Amino acid sequence: MKKHEFDDETLMAYADGELDDETAAGLEAALEADEALATRLAVFLDSRAAVASALKPLIHEPVPEALLTSVRHMAEKAKPVEDVRARNVIAFRQKQAALKQPLRSWLIPVAASLLAVVAGLGGFMLGREIGVTGSDAGAALTAALDREVSGSDVTLGSSGETLRVVASFRDEHGDLCREYERRHHGVSTVSIACREAGTWVTRLALSAPRAEGYTTASAQETIDAYLASIHAGAPLTPEEEREALATFR
Amino acid sequence: MTNDTLNVPERLVAFLPNLRRFAISLCHSRELADDLVQSTCERAIAAADTFVAGTRFDAWLFRILRNLWIDHLRRARTAGPQEDLEEAREVSTPSGEAASEARMTLLEVTEALQKLPEEQREVLVLVCVEELSYRDTAEVLSIPIGTVMSRLARARKNLAELMGISGEEKRSSNMKGDVA
Repeated sequence: MKKHEFDDETLMAYADGELDDETAAGLEAALEADEALATRLAVFLDSRAAVASALKPLIHEPVPEALLTSVRHMAEKAKPVEDVRARNVIAFRQKQAALKQPLRSWLIPVAASLLAVVAGLGGFMLGREIGVTGSDAGAALTAALDREVSGSDVTLGSSGETLRVVASFRDEHGDLCREYERRHHGVSTVSIACREAGTWVTRLALSAPRAEGYTTASAQETIDAYLASIHAGAPLTPEEEREALATFR
Repeated sequence: MTNDTLNVPERLVAFLPNLRRFAISLCHSRELADDLVQSTCERAIAAADTFVAGTRFDAWLFRILRNLWIDHLRRARTAGPQEDLEEAREVSTPSGEAASEARMTLLEVTEALQKLPEEQREVLVLVCVEELSYRDTAEVLSIPIGTVMSRLARARKNLAELMGISGEEKRSSNMKGDVA
C-alpha cells in the first residue's frame, strides 16, 4: 500500500462523515495497520471536536430581551394574512374549536417556526400529533402524566410502550408543563405537554432517532429553542413537582 | 416540508438562539452579533419570497447573515482586528461544572479561531458547529465544494497547529467524546 494513498481532504471528509462508503472502508482497513495515518486523521477529528465543544454551547445562551422583542415585533408586522394554524403538523390545542378564544399570540410564531427548525435540521421528523386524550393509550398517558414523578420508567397499559417523564416546569403563564419521552419498538418520541383547562395539551412532539439513550444534539437544540421561546422556567425540584402533581388528585 | 414558504418572519423567532450562535462564532462580540442578527432578520423578512421551499432554512439565514458580516468587514477594514481580547475571552467560557482544565483548552480554541483568516473561520464554523454538509456550506458561501474542502482542511491544520494538537497524545480521549 502506498504511503500517501489518502490525502488530507479524504481524511477530513472521513472525520466529517462525508466520505463515500467504499473509500471509507478502504481507509478503515488502512488505518488498522498504519499508525501515522491514524495520527493524521486524529488531527481532523480533534480539531472538529475542539471547535464544536467551544462554540456549540453558545446556543443555550438566552437571547437578549431587546433582540427578542425587536424580532418578534418585526415578525408580527410582517405576518402574512394566510392562516397557517390549520395546516401545522403540531396541533397546539385540540379543543381549539370548543374554546373559541383566539390562540395566544405567542403560540402562533412558535408553531410556525418549530416546523422550520425541524425541517431545517433533518434527521428526525415531527411526530404526528398524538391524541393525549381520547384513546385508551391516551388515557393511560394522561393518568401517568398526572401521577408519575420525573426520572423513572413506567409501562403504559398493555401496549408495551415505555414512558419516562424527563422534567416538569412552568411556562410563562404558570401552566405546568412536562417534557416526556415515549419509546415503542425502538422509536422514541420526545414531547412537551402542558396542563390547560384541566387536560394535557401536547405542544411539541419530535420523533427522534436515539443513539443508545441520548437525544441527538439537533433534537435537543430544537427542544431547548422551544423551551426558550415559551419562557420555560427552571425544572421543578422533586418537592415542587410533587406539590404540583398533588393538585391533580 | 409543509408550507415552507409561509411565515418566514415567524420562524425567525425560534431560530434566534441558533442565528445568534453563528453570529457570535463569526464576529466574537455579542454586541456586534446581536446587531448582525437583527439586520439578518430584517433582511430575511424583506426577502422572504426568495426562500425556496424544501431547502434548509438555517442555511438560507446563515447565508444572509454571513453576507452582512462580510459587508461589515469590508466597511470596517480600517479598524484593527482582534482589538479586544477581553471580549474574545468571554465569548465562550464553559459554564457550571466544566473543569478548569476544559476552560484552558476552550480559551485556546477561541483565541486560535480568531487568528484564522475569516474565510477559514467561516467554513470551520458552518461545518463543525452548525453541522452543515460540505454541499450546503458551498451554497451558503457561494463557492465550489472543492474550495470548501481545501479551505476547511487548511483551517483545521492551522487550528491544530495553533492549539498544539498533533493528533498523537490526546487522541484516544478526544476521539471518543461526542462533543454535542
